[in-house]
Amino acid sequence: MANRGSVRRIRAIAWREFRYTALTKGFLIGAIILPLIMFAAIPLLPMLLSSKSAPLIGRVVVIDPTNSLAKPFQMSLPLDSGESQEKQDNSPLSEPLHVELSVETISDPARVDEFRAQLKDSSLRGLIIVTPGADGLTAELLVPSGASPRHTTILESTLRESLTRARVAQANENYDRLSKLMGRSIIETRRVSPEGSESKENAQLRILVPAGFMFLLWIAVFTSGNYLLTSTIEEKSSRVMEVLLSAASPVELLCGKLLGQAGVAGVMLLMYGGVGLAGLGAAAMLDVVPLQHLLWMLVWFPLAYFTVAAIMVSIGSAVSDLREAQSLIGPAMLALTIPLMLWLPIVESPNGTLATVTSFVPPAAPFVMILRLTAANEPVPMWQALLAVLVNVITVATILWAGARVFRVGVLMQGKPPSPMELLRWIKAR
Amino acid sequence: MKNIVIQLANVNKRFGALHAVRDVSFEIQRGQVCGFLGPNGAGKSTTIRMIMSILLPDSGTIRVLDGSALDAKDRIGYLPEERGVYRKMRVADFLRFIAKLKGISRADADTRIRAWLERVELPGISHKRCEELSKGMQQKLQFIASVLHAPPLLILDEPFSGLDPVNRRLLSSVVRQLKESGTTILFSTHQMEQAEDLCDQILLIHKGEKVLDETMGAIYGRFDPRTILAEPANAIDVASASLQHVLDIESFRWSVEQKAFEIRVAEGVDPQLAMANIMRATPLRRVELQRATLDDVFVTLVGGTVVEIESAQKSRTAQVNHG
Repeated sequence: MANRGSVRRIRAIAWREFRYTALTKGFLIGAIILPLIMFAAIPLLPMLLSSKSAPLIGRVVVIDPTNSLAKPFQMSLPLDSGESQEKQDNSPLSEPLHVELSVETISDPARVDEFRAQLKDSSLRGLIIVTPGADGLTAELLVPSGASPRHTTILESTLRESLTRARVAQANENYDRLSKLMGRSIIETRRVSPEGSESKENAQLRILVPAGFMFLLWIAVFTSGNYLLTSTIEEKSSRVMEVLLSAASPVELLCGKLLGQAGVAGVMLLMYGGVGLAGLGAAAMLDVVPLQHLLWMLVWFPLAYFTVAAIMVSIGSAVSDLREAQSLIGPAMLALTIPLMLWLPIVESPNGTLATVTSFVPPAAPFVMILRLTAANEPVPMWQALLAVLVNVITVATILWAGARVFRVGVLMQGKPPSPMELLRWIKAR
Repeated sequence: MKNIVIQLANVNKRFGALHAVRDVSFEIQRGQVCGFLGPNGAGKSTTIRMIMSILLPDSGTIRVLDGSALDAKDRIGYLPEERGVYRKMRVADFLRFIAKLKGISRADADTRIRAWLERVELPGISHKRCEELSKGMQQKLQFIASVLHAPPLLILDEPFSGLDPVNRRLLSSVVRQLKESGTTILFSTHQMEQAEDLCDQILLIHKGEKVLDETMGAIYGRFDPRTILAEPANAIDVASASLQHVLDIESFRWSVEQKAFEIRVAEGVDPQLAMANIMRATPLRRVELQRATLDDVFVTLVGGTVVEIESAQKSRTAQVNHG
């Protein structure tokens, strides 16, 4: 009878905690809708950011006493819009641009001023002044003050290519042949598994996938842990805590709060994880997240959540406001940010000493383990994975036990926050 | 045992160096209304919190409804001294939440919420957020939360503090109705008239120690009235001169409010005999033996030390609030 009553009370507290966190406008907007909008905007970004520039049509004058640059410049001009796109490769989001330039070659340098005047009234798209030197030709490009950056970039790249063409011609070489010889080689890397199967290497994804898993776990756990901290402080400061304690025991209250916020963390994990998987699916890249990674996530999520949640709820119960909480959260946060700081070295060497040691150091261990297990450059020995689970189960049980004792004493406390020694006394108190 | 609802035996509670509750023992019978009195910082709220199993005693035993309060939370209604509601919750949602904790079904809870809101004159507020209510309204809301599940035992910590006279009277009448319906009630208060009006039994605690545990009848009997009120039929100075010669009188003074002499009877003298001697000494329009009030009892037992207690309380840095 008493057990049924306990379950009912825990359920009621958990539901209230979940409902007044996850089913509020603030949560829906802040934690769900905004990230979803951002996610949805990613495929739209190229469209939103693409710029439709005016076509580059007009006259370019080349003042070249050697008369050797005009032809290469003409040859270097983009033949069609696709080529112009390639030439200005620093703006991949831009749409192809129509280029239609007539090139006029002047050999008399004394006419510079005449063409400068044409630049001022924008009747000229560009003026190129070529100077012969000991090391070959050098050139100066002048454009009207109102020239668009994209047009300028096209003229610059065309001029750069034409100077190279001129130098190659001076050396009696064939520019097209050399271009082909110097072209970028394509290398395809494949990983061979111990079973002999081959998979295409994608170094960036191999770093990003573990990071994705760890950040997903971190964000879900810390967001709900933070909600737990603030809701406990609010219940203390609004004096509703004693009303709750008159209806439920401290352990029932603690369990209800932890379970309610576990639901919030679960929703966030499902939302963000689901969106991530959907994105990978849309890009036909689901193979980078094998099923066993998802299963490991299911193992480490509750361990990470209950570790962080028990710490947060204990701190919340011991203080009277958020400002006081900061001083107690500091050391815990330091330990919990270790995986964020060591993410790259751990992914680089998932079975190295650093990764192995930190796998058994609570409370950072769940985050380190999810990094190691999803990095998969080399499989984590199963005994290490199981031992880490065992260590964390013991850690969670200990933190929950200590958290419950701090909670029981702390929830009725008012006034100055306890020192670490006082917290220890609360834990040891009868 | 069946009739004992609350039983404390040699209960002690310390907060560091402060001995908040010292060896307190008492019993409250079923259907009784017990007033729990004492100056600020006497240990009332600490004792109540221990009865509610919110705090655990350092030593001694506490039995509530034949067991621990932890096992009987659904059968106890509790209004804490520190009022608190979820500020952002709507009134009906808050009460439904409390009802759910107490094991009441949703449909039943809605019916009871409507009825109680009407009863405490708060109709039409169920959709308001708790933060929109005045302090007095929030207090009535909390009172509803404590009685919504019709508990056989109701514990109220300072239920009337902070209420205006109209609402105090309203709540007082509700408490009286609950008493008539058989609810056992323990309430702490500083309102002596309310305690005198409602209580069958009085518990007085001082510096953590029980100093009085009696029924109202026994208190009136024990705190023997030794003041006679006498309204003279002749002039005040003439009557005063006559009273000087009555041997049974310890002292007397003229009370402007009472328009009569307040005559203190000497120790060991039967007040009835003293009254007869006074009537023989001077003609009187009215003579009566004054009854000891709870106020008198409180001042007699706690009296001169209240100021000392309150100043000690200010300097104390104990973090836990206790009554």
